[in-house]
Amino acid sequence: MKKLLLVILFFVGLGWALTTFPGLAVEGSYNSIILDFREDVGAAQIESQIDAIAKTYSSSPRYNSEFSLADHVFIMPGDKKLLDTLRSSDLRKYTEFIEPDYLYRTYAVPNDPEYGKQWNLRSINIEPAWDQTKGKGITVAVIDTGISQVPDLLDTKFVSGYDFVNDRTSVRDDNGHGTHVAGTIAQATNNKFGVAGIAYEANLMPLKVLSGEGGGTVADIAEAIRFAADQKADVINMSLGGGGESQLMKEAIDYAHSKGVVIVAAAGNAGRNAAEYPARYPHVIGVSALDAAGSKTPYSNYGAGIDISAPGGLINGEDKTGGILQNTLNPQTGESVFEAFQGTSMAAPHVSGVVALIKAAGVTNPDEIEEVIKQSALVVQDDNMNHFGAGKLDAAAAVKLAAQGKISFHDFFRWLRDNGYLNPRFWIDGGVISLGPKLAMVLGSYLLAWMLKIYFPFAWTWSLSSGLVMGSTGIFFLRGVYLFDAPQWPFRLMGSSLAEMGSAVQLSGGLNPFFASVLIPMGLVLLLLGHRTWKGFAIGSAIGMAVFLAIAAITSPTLMWLGDGIMARLFLGVNAILCFALARLVVKPEGRIA
Amino acid sequence: MSIQVEGTIERKGFGTGTWALVSSSETYELHKAPADLQKAGLKVKLSGQIREDVMTIAMIGPVLEVTSFEIVN
Repeated sequence: MKKLLLVILFFVGLGWALTTFPGLAVEGSYNSIILDFREDVGAAQIESQIDAIAKTYSSSPRYNSEFSLADHVFIMPGDKKLLDTLRSSDLRKYTEFIEPDYLYRTYAVPNDPEYGKQWNLRSINIEPAWDQTKGKGITVAVIDTGISQVPDLLDTKFVSGYDFVNDRTSVRDDNGHGTHVAGTIAQATNNKFGVAGIAYEANLMPLKVLSGEGGGTVADIAEAIRFAADQKADVINMSLGGGGESQLMKEAIDYAHSKGVVIVAAAGNAGRNAAEYPARYPHVIGVSALDAAGSKTPYSNYGAGIDISAPGGLINGEDKTGGILQNTLNPQTGESVFEAFQGTSMAAPHVSGVVALIKAAGVTNPDEIEEVIKQSALVVQDDNMNHFGAGKLDAAAAVKLAAQGKISFHDFFRWLRDNGYLNPRFWIDGGVISLGPKLAMVLGSYLLAWMLKIYFPFAWTWSLSSGLVMGSTGIFFLRGVYLFDAPQWPFRLMGSSLAEMGSAVQLSGGLNPFFASVLIPMGLVLLLLGHRTWKGFAIGSAIGMAVFLAIAAITSPTLMWLGDGIMARLFLGVNAILCFALARLVVKPEGRIA
Repeated sequence: MSIQVEGTIERKGFGTGTWALVSSSETYELHKAPADLQKAGLKVKLSGQIREDVMTIAMIGPVLEVTSFEIVN
């Protein structure tokens, strides 16, 4: 009975999935029909059929172009009803297919005259995202220097905010920073004026916590976070940072998160390892800054606390084309200006805007929204210093993933965070370790040692095991550990196998051929051959290294000075064989080691 | 935390710009920089407080509120 119920449930589920699958339901629009006559149908016959259609349906098919003459392809105006009629008529016998002539269209480019200068919006792939949503109904709180309604924000919707610096309800910007940040999020777009914004149908909530000079206290900021959460903001953007750890602020962030608010903050502009507060608190998406080429900007902080990267711009002296252009005000005169700024301050609102789009597309849980942002990001390979977090922000991919509505949450990482492994003191980045090859290396080396043991029996000692681990992978998970404000290289070194140590400190991205070769196992064997216990370590390291080099030769053969071509593969392959031969040579003569 | 530090005044281009003191080991953001210090290239000796309770838009380093200063050149 239970089985029957399960089977029924399965088919009900399958049926539901098939009928709601968007690929079947959404097929685009068309207002003409394609007729493709069979190749063996003569010209006279086609002509008589065309005449018949013209008479019956008062619509005349014509050649699509002069090239379609030979293919017998005709086009005629028509809708779904005509398509169904034609498909069930006699015409079917003479044709290969009758199908809708779907309209293909390019994505809508906004008519804002300065849009062409906004390289940043194209680099986050915004146009396909606008096809789905523009953030309608979502409220983004901008905790900053305030927002002034400059001309290109006049069509943007506002909800009431608060000025925590002057303690009043009307909020004006006396710096220009907050207005600029607000512009990136929701500048009036398609209004034939100025520039565009990301979620331009969303509401802005102006919260002033920073003075005209650009600084403010933790107490005011924490209050503003609670205010935003109580006033039903969906997203909080904080393009600000600095100071020390504050329990007051941490509690405000936890409170907002518990109310479903997504919090985004800038990583900081000191060019150092580790994000500033508040970006480094749990439940805050920390954003590093990219330039127009997609590289990390020199000023952007990196390492612990960075969750994603987005355009922040890079201004080169008087040439401001590499900056982020928005409408803001001149703080001296109060006049409206279009100004290019740079900074992680500019990168954060890109993420906040896309968060608004994701929420408008239907994902409401803040943890799931963060997952969508991260999973849809363009992954950057070999990001050992965590310059980019999960990758580069991709608005179109994020909205697409959100619309699919199936977010596989990395429970492991939620567990890590909730148990304090992502916190203001230390941080673990799972992204720096490619687990597959590492597991293959550990298992491979144990398998090889086991096979060798069958032919040449030897005792399995702890020194052999440690040799296997050090030769193959090292204590690899340490590579992803960051202590805030401390250099990360000691962890990289401890997390490296013998072969990787030659490049762990300066992080060249490739292996050092002096380390990734038979030289180290050879040295260890020569040194330790006479030692009863440590001899096992030498043999283990030779076996481990053999497997490491063999797998590296296949998966990532990048060597310093030798590149990643056939020469590198050959070098690694030959050394893998030499390492194995060395292990065999040492094991063979006595058959048994202590 | 009160400190004494020697370095050069610089204007840093984040947002509408901010005044910084660049010493040999650290870049400080000057909080409410006195008008006499607002000149790029000035070599100065400063005394002041590190404001752990202040966050800023510039985020270039520790926030330093100047209590007294001496212009070196």
